[in-house]
Amino acid sequence: MEIEHVKGKIMEGMPGFPRQYGPVRSDHQPGIPFFPQETARDFVLIFLLVAILFFLSAVVTPFLGPARSPQISELIVPDWYLLFSWGLLKVADIFPQFIIGDGTPLKTNFNAAFWGDILSGIPVIFLLILPFIDRGREARPAKAPVRSAFGIAFLLAWTFTASLYSIREVVAQRWQTPNGSPLINDTAMKWFFIIPPVLVGLTSYLGLRRLGYQPMRRWLVPYVAGLTAIVEVQAAAIFLIPGWLGPEVHPYVIELGVFLLVLLAPMLISSVAVFALPESRARKWVVRSGLVAFLGFAALVAYFTYSGPQSRLAFGWVLSVLEPNMNTLLLMPIFAVLTAYLGVRRPYSTYEYLLNECYQCGKCHTVCPVTKVEDDALGGLNLVYNTFKKQHDGVPLWTCLACDACSAVCPLDIQYSDYILEERSKVHARMAADGGSRE
Amino acid sequence: MMETEYGPGRTIPHPVMFRVLDSEADDLTIPEIKVEHKSEFAYYPGCVDYYDVEMQFSHMNYGDTNHGIIFDSSVKLLRAVGIQPMILDRSFMKCCGHDQLWQGKVDVFERMREYNTKIIKMLGVKTFITSCAEGYRTFKLDYKLEGVRVVHITQFLYERGLRIPPQPDTAKKIRVAFQDPCRSGRQMPIDPVYEEPRELVKRVDNAELVELKTFRADAQCCGVAQMMYCNDKTKGLTAKRMDEATDVEADYLLVACPKCLTHFGCLHHENKWKPGEERYGFKVMDITQFLAERLPGESPTGGNIDQKRKEPPLPGRRG
Repeated sequence: MEIEHVKGKIMEGMPGFPRQYGPVRSDHQPGIPFFPQETARDFVLIFLLVAILFFLSAVVTPFLGPARSPQISELIVPDWYLLFSWGLLKVADIFPQFIIGDGTPLKTNFNAAFWGDILSGIPVIFLLILPFIDRGREARPAKAPVRSAFGIAFLLAWTFTASLYSIREVVAQRWQTPNGSPLINDTAMKWFFIIPPVLVGLTSYLGLRRLGYQPMRRWLVPYVAGLTAIVEVQAAAIFLIPGWLGPEVHPYVIELGVFLLVLLAPMLISSVAVFALPESRARKWVVRSGLVAFLGFAALVAYFTYSGPQSRLAFGWVLSVLEPNMNTLLLMPIFAVLTAYLGVRRPYSTYEYLLNECYQCGKCHTVCPVTKVEDDALGGLNLVYNTFKKQHDGVPLWTCLACDACSAVCPLDIQYSDYILEERSKVHARMAADGGSRE
Repeated sequence: MMETEYGPGRTIPHPVMFRVLDSEADDLTIPEIKVEHKSEFAYYPGCVDYYDVEMQFSHMNYGDTNHGIIFDSSVKLLRAVGIQPMILDRSFMKCCGHDQLWQGKVDVFERMREYNTKIIKMLGVKTFITSCAEGYRTFKLDYKLEGVRVVHITQFLYERGLRIPPQPDTAKKIRVAFQDPCRSGRQMPIDPVYEEPRELVKRVDNAELVELKTFRADAQCCGVAQMMYCNDKTKGLTAKRMDEATDVEADYLLVACPKCLTHFGCLHHENKWKPGEERYGFKVMDITQFLAERLPGESPTGGNIDQKRKEPPLPGRRG
């Protein structure tokens, strides 16, 4: 075919040609490969650092003070930045403990310490294999939502909740029910390793996709409705299953009901709004329900804390029901409303997000045909460029031909003409809102 | 900058004409359509009739801009490749909405899109052929026509194997330049139309294809897009582009977009105003007209010109 011949001459079909942009752009763009070029250089640096460490530890032996022991202080904790590791060691006894290869040189003791070490090592292992799993080129969180959400959840699970777990004795001592048992019990704290990170991960994913201006309703509706259903079932079980509430809590059932209502109502409003209303109205209703929840909870806490010893006692008993179920009863309402908000919110600016890629190389400015004929445009017609230099005075918007010469040369493939479309339609929307038209 | 009663430098689009289009969009009732040639191939000429009226109404030139010829030529070419297309003209279709969209009137565009999509679905169109680059972009990217293949007429003629018969020996050698429209070229992430028109031009045996200074994805704009302005700055751009054609000593400057034809044609006519000052020695025409004139049979005329008019009208608004 003649046409194939011609296409071959202009490098079509070569890697990176023709330039792709828009939704069809593939992730793989030519560059310096990670293996072996980058890996070789990295290994040189790694070996150098390891050699220095070995040298220092052999020659300059650090002075270590006497070890702490339970005789000196009751609560043994490491420095704050190692709390997570300590927490992982503490939680490791949930794993089965056994010994394999007993009596042989390969004897391995799978005890809590071993499991704790493994847990501490998992993030490092994950970081090592990450470049092999994820071959994407995008570094911005909103462009790589899966990776980012996983990272945020991981960070939370492995640092925050593990750190919290390492001081479980302090937590148990500090917050207690009126009869002296801990408010947040050990089981609840163990569940902290699973449930909050999952919630945070899903919420981050939804919010980040939304930041990339994706419609998220298909994710949002099942997520928020699912959380609402879980909390509803839990609340119903508290009241309906006999024996769930201890005899001490029975006199305070009404207060408990009010608390649960304050938690449940915003969830219900949010899920109905997300399901049934158009996006702009859903956004308003979600914000309102979030505000109601926050103010209602704050008002209830303030009322019960400051209106006398009797109500403070009631508050304590209510918390004794809520706190052990904190993963579901307290966290899920917060995350349901927050996710509903993040999923329907309007990203700060449609195109600002894409324009953020601009690094002002000015190529667009050079090729813009209008600058060649318009003297007063020589200084700056280009709208993307001007927006970045904060010189966008609105004139170039209507002088632009939308011929897309700038997008064709843009190294970051910013779709300039889409930006023009967006801005022009905004101007017309504003005029329509003012009740007038341009002419 | 030219002062007009509509503000500085604002001569096209004529406000009245655009009001007409916008108000047309409000009426979404679908008329009864009688189909003469039922076919899965539909040809959409775009707003060529509207341009002719607009050009005469705004007195942008002598009133002899002929966009109707694009329609005649396209139909002739399609028949030459064995297609009797169903013609979607503006008696029941609306504009594709390109200009409205790019002027920021998104709501008007959406109404037009809804209406046109309904009609295209109703008529059972499988292949949607258009001779307008803006229409090609708009129907392909901005409409959501599942199951309908949108092609530019040059693509269609190329893949159907349009044959141009050998020209007579007396025909002199001509140099032909092609202006790549921005809409069907670099604005299309999929299926940009670069090669097909060139390949078609090469099939005319006495024509030599010459490239302008900038071409394909780098091609400079014809000067005006989406009928936003016509002032001396946009004229300057058009003049620059036409000077490029003069530089390569082209005999024909071919375009694949009615808007390019409008603006090039406008400047071309303007420069015929004083006979001694003719700057452009080449002809500006649509690629369909160029090809159709080289096929046997009647040359396309386009029915839009007032045949009785012998003298050009006076320039300016009061002409």
